[in-house]
Amino acid sequence: MNNRGAAFLRTTAFRQTLLSAGLFALSSFVILAFVYVASAGMMMRRADEAIHEEMEALEERFQVGGIRDINRYILQRTVGGGADYLYLLVHPSGRALSGNLSGLPDIQPDDEGRLQFTYRRPPAGGTTETDKDDRAGRGRVIELPSGYRLFVGLDVDEENRLVGRMLNTILAASALALALGVAAGIFVSRRFVRRLDGINAVARSVKAGDLKRRAPRNFTGDELDELSENFNAMLDRVEALMHRMRHTGDSIAHDLRTPLTRMRNRLDEALREDGDIEAREQALERAVADTDELLGIFNAILSLSRLEAGESRSAMSRLDPAEIATDLAELYQPVCEDEGLSFDSEVQQDLRMLGDRGLLSQALANLLDNAVKYTPSGGAVALRLRQTADGLIEFSVTDTGPGVPEADRERVVQRFVRLDNSRTLPGSGLGLSLVQAISDIHNGIFRIDEGPGLVDGEHGPGLRASLSFPAAAKASKA
Amino acid sequence: MRILIVEDDREAANYIRKGLRESGHVADHAPDGEEGLEMARAAEYDVLVVDRMMPRMDGLTMVAALRGDNIRTPVLILSALGEVDDRVEGLKAGGDDYLVKPYAFAELLARVEALARRRDPDAVKTRLVVGDLEMDLLARKVTRGEEEILLQPREFRLLEFLMKHSGQVVTRTMLLEKVWDYHFDPQTNVIDVHISRLRSKIDKPFPRALLHTVRGAGYRLQA
Repeated sequence: MNNRGAAFLRTTAFRQTLLSAGLFALSSFVILAFVYVASAGMMMRRADEAIHEEMEALEERFQVGGIRDINRYILQRTVGGGADYLYLLVHPSGRALSGNLSGLPDIQPDDEGRLQFTYRRPPAGGTTETDKDDRAGRGRVIELPSGYRLFVGLDVDEENRLVGRMLNTILAASALALALGVAAGIFVSRRFVRRLDGINAVARSVKAGDLKRRAPRNFTGDELDELSENFNAMLDRVEALMHRMRHTGDSIAHDLRTPLTRMRNRLDEALREDGDIEAREQALERAVADTDELLGIFNAILSLSRLEAGESRSAMSRLDPAEIATDLAELYQPVCEDEGLSFDSEVQQDLRMLGDRGLLSQALANLLDNAVKYTPSGGAVALRLRQTADGLIEFSVTDTGPGVPEADRERVVQRFVRLDNSRTLPGSGLGLSLVQAISDIHNGIFRIDEGPGLVDGEHGPGLRASLSFPAAAKASKA
Repeated sequence: MRILIVEDDREAANYIRKGLRESGHVADHAPDGEEGLEMARAAEYDVLVVDRMMPRMDGLTMVAALRGDNIRTPVLILSALGEVDDRVEGLKAGGDDYLVKPYAFAELLARVEALARRRDPDAVKTRLVVGDLEMDLLARKVTRGEEEILLQPREFRLLEFLMKHSGQVVTRTMLLEKVWDYHFDPQTNVIDVHISRLRSKIDKPFPRALLHTVRGAGYRLQA
C-alpha cells in the first residue's frame, strides 16, 4: 500500500465508517442468528411432537393387544421400506424383533428418552445396499412393562440439511454485509476526505504564501461547505489585514525616510562644522528635534494599533463632556492667539456621555492642532459642544483654512494620508486616523465637512470636523 | 543621588547609567527583577528606575514586593506599553511615575530628579518660595517682591508645579501630565505658549528672570 493509501486508512472518516460497517454487519448477523435459532427449534419441535403422537398410538396398541400387536403393526409399516417413521422393537435379550433400523443408536437418551443420532438407511425397494451416507435421525425410546424396549423416530436429515444451509447463508450474508459496509464506508469517506483534502491543500498553499487561494465550495450549505465558507471568510480577513499591514509598513518606511534623511544630513553637517561650536550645537539640537518627531510618529503608530485592536475600552466612564471641551479651549486659546487666529468656544453644560477623558481629549486636541496648523493668520478657530436635535453629543472644531476638497474627505482619515498641500508641514499623517479610531471605540461618528466659509475673502472654505457620540442618561449622579 | 536601574536590556541600562553619571548621580544596575529586589532591599537608593518587562521577575511584581516590605523608595516605571490602563496598573502596583519607551534621556532625568524631590519631609508646604517669588497655597496668592501677580487657575497650577520643582528641569510632557492631566503630546507648542504667558506675568516686569528655558529638555524655575 502506498503512502497516500496508508494515510487514507488513518483518516477519521475511514475509521468511523469502518466502525459503523462493523456494527451494521454484527447487528444483521444477530438478527439472522435469531431467525435461525427460532426456525431450527421449530422444526425439531414439530418432529418431536409427531414422534410423541406415534409413540402414544403404539402405547395404546400395547395396552390393547400387547407386544404381539405392536410387533405386527411395526412389521406392516416397515415392510418394503417407505415408512414415515423409524421403528425398532427390542427384545429384553437385546435382539431386534422388528423395525426399519439395524439397531438402537449407541447414544444415551436424555431425561425424556429423546435421542439424536445418525444412521444409515436400510435397503429399500428391492435393493440390498444400505445407503452410503449417514442420515440424521431423531427419536424416543421407552421401556415397555415386560422388558421390551420400543423406539420411535423420524428422519430429520432434510430438516438438518435445511438448517445447515440456512446457517451458511446467514454467515455468508453477514460477511457480505460487512464487505458492503466497508466498501460503502470507503466510498463515502473517500468523498469526505477528498473535500477535506481540498481545504487542507488551500491551507497549505496559504501557509506557503499564496493568499489568493480559496477553499472549494459546493454551495449545498452542508457542514463542509460551511467550513469552507468560514475558512474563506477568514482568509479574506487575513488578506485584508496583510494588505493593510503592508500598506502601513510601506507608508511607515516612506514617512520615516524623510525625517531620518533630514536628521542624517544634520548630523553630517554637525560633523563638518569643525570650528564653529555654536553651529555644531544647533545642528545637533535640530537632529534631536528630528528624533523626537520620529518618536512621536512611532508612538502615534503604537497608540493607533492598540486603539484599532480595541484594547482600550476599560477606561470608559460617565463623564461631563463640557469639562473636556472647557479644558481644551483653555489649552488652545493662547496658542490660537499667538498664531494670530481668533478663538471661540461654545460649550453646552450639563450633558453626560460614556467615554475615556484622555482619548476624547486627544481626539479634540488633534483636531485643534490641525485647525491651528492649517488656518492662515487672521482666521478663526472655534470649538463647540452641543446636544444635537437627535440627542447626540457633538463636539465640533471649525476653522477658516483651506478645508479638504469633498473628494478627499474619506481619504484623509486613512493612515498616513497627507494631502499634497500639507506635505511641507510637520505631522505624521496619523492624526485623523487616530481621531477616527477614538471615535470608533466610543461608537461615535466622525465627519469632515465644509467649514463656516470665508471670513474676509482671503481664506479658504474652511473645515468643520465633528465627533458625535450617544448621550448617557443625565439622572443619578452616583 | 543614588539610583538603581533595573533593566534587562544591557544597552538601555548602560545608556541610562552613563547619562545619570554625567549628571552627577551614582547609578547601579540590576539585570532582572529578582536581583533588583535584592539590591533595593540591601541598600538605600533615592530613586529606582524599573523596566516593566523583565525575565524572572517583572517590574510590577518587584515594585509590589518592595512596597510589601514597606520600602517607600520612589519608583519610575519604564514601559513599552503606553495606554491609560497600563499606566494605571503601573501606578497601582506602587510605581510613582510612568515613562513610556522610547523616551528622551532628558525626560528620564527630569522625572528621576522630580521623584527624588518628592521624598523631602517638608512635602506639605503651604508656602513656596523661589527667590523673591512667593506662592501662598492657602490664600492662592502669588507675589513677587512687593507686587501681587494675578494668575488664572491653570497658570497658578503651572507655577505651583514649577515652584515645587524649582532648580530642576521640568519637561513639556511632565507639565502636560501633571498640570493638565493629558497623556498625549499635542503637535503644536501648547506648553511653550502657556509658559510664555506665565513668563510675561512673573518675569517680564522684573529685572531678573526666574523661568528659564533648557534647550532640548524643558524649563527650569530657578532664582
